[in-house]
Amino acid sequence: MRPSFYYVTFILSVICLDGMFIYYAGQGKSQQQKDLSIIHDVTKTLGLTDICVTTEARYTRHPAVSDILVPFMDHPGGMEHFPSGSFFSPPYTNNLAENR
Amino acid sequence: MNNRFVERQINFLDYALASLWRKKLKNLAIILVFGAVIFLLGSFQLVSNGLLQRAEDTLTWAPEILIQKMTAGRQESIPVNYKEKLSEIFGIRNITPRVWGYYFDEVTLANYTVIGMDASKMPNKSGFAKSLEKGQMPTASGEAILGQAVLAVKNLDNSPAFSLFRPDLSLKTFSITDKFKKETSILTDDLIVMSLADGRDLFSMDDNLATDLMVSVANTREIDTIAKKIADILPDTRVLTRPQIQKTYHMVFGWRSGFASVCLLTALAAFVIFSWDKASGLSPEEKKEIAILKLLGWQTSDVLVLRFWEGIIVSFSAFLLGCTAAYLHVVYFSSTLFLPVLAGWSIIRPNLQLYPNIHLADLVLLFCFSVLPYLAATVVPSWRSASLPSDTALQGG
Repeated sequence: MRPSFYYVTFILSVICLDGMFIYYAGQGKSQQQKDLSIIHDVTKTLGLTDICVTTEARYTRHPAVSDILVPFMDHPGGMEHFPSGSFFSPPYTNNLAENR
Repeated sequence: MNNRFVERQINFLDYALASLWRKKLKNLAIILVFGAVIFLLGSFQLVSNGLLQRAEDTLTWAPEILIQKMTAGRQESIPVNYKEKLSEIFGIRNITPRVWGYYFDEVTLANYTVIGMDASKMPNKSGFAKSLEKGQMPTASGEAILGQAVLAVKNLDNSPAFSLFRPDLSLKTFSITDKFKKETSILTDDLIVMSLADGRDLFSMDDNLATDLMVSVANTREIDTIAKKIADILPDTRVLTRPQIQKTYHMVFGWRSGFASVCLLTALAAFVIFSWDKASGLSPEEKKEIAILKLLGWQTSDVLVLRFWEGIIVSFSAFLLGCTAAYLHVVYFSSTLFLPVLAGWSIIRPNLQLYPNIHLADLVLLFCFSVLPYLAATVVPSWRSASLPSDTALQGG
């Protein structure tokens, strides 16, 4: 058997495996989509603005309603030090200007 | 003609595979390191996409308009009578004051989000009841609904009541009316929902103050117009609209975020070192191999095609393995490597199961970032070496 046969077989097997992984993930995703109506009810009633990904700092718990300077306001000379802060870029900050 | 071309390319592929197999340890190491870089970049992209999708799906019904009072650049409590100033605006259906904030529990070291709302003025009450385990809304003072993680962290599963400290350290006791369903944990894990009066009492706020005002409008196409009118009437406030809230997550999980920069810089550094090593010249053995091939009758173009296939085999294998590992990591292993960074020092860590869509644009971006530079770094030095006369190359020139 030629080496190219083994290589192409290997590549095709990995692609088939990927297809299988994506197919099974789709089942989990459709379950998540079914739960969306309950989630929408909570959002509508309580007026929630953010998803609960991290709870360590208020500006990463609620980035949608935070200011760009919030990380530095906790105490004089306060630097942004929460690990989750490294994952988030500054939130949308032109809200005030945009509505003028 | 076509068959001959295909047969010729397959022969090149066979030769390239045999040539790579001769140095299998070195090439496997390259594929692994290269794959790890692609895995890192791919994982980040998938986590960002997954979070963005989750936020978009979840926040479809985010508040239409929120009004926050700003003083000296900081948000502070808003007087409830600001509602009256907005009575002239046509199109506002309802204005609901909310008291909300954070409560740091010194016993468990967890942060909770406390929301106080008047149950009688809550929109969509029947729908909201469906999100609760028993469907019981708090009706009297001193009642609260808790998120699943709050119950777990405070160990309240079999307890009918719990207490929180007011700012003056006096205790306020709540009875647990109900808890949120697990399906809503992406939103409610750290929530404690109580009445507006209880929220004010807990945070020691005046009765005429609220944290923000939630405005619902009759026609959602008028959100921006009404927001502008509110901003004109209340110049000391910040007016947030639903589209702005939804846009936030596009901003926060973009390529500009710190972690993305670290991933990109790592990948870039790896490529710079690798390309520099490759471009600085071939080893004497590689040069000798090219010279022998040319003596045997190979053209410069044949050598380049061979090197191209070698580059394709290594980089495409690394790309495929890296992308597969990234998908497995995010979907089947719940982003185990990234979650500790994302959750940070949070005590309450929601079970974040993401199912990101795979975008062709992201794959092309990763491909351009990885496969193309590798091909360039492989083919260019070979072209320089293959251009030399064979006898010079054999003599080590």
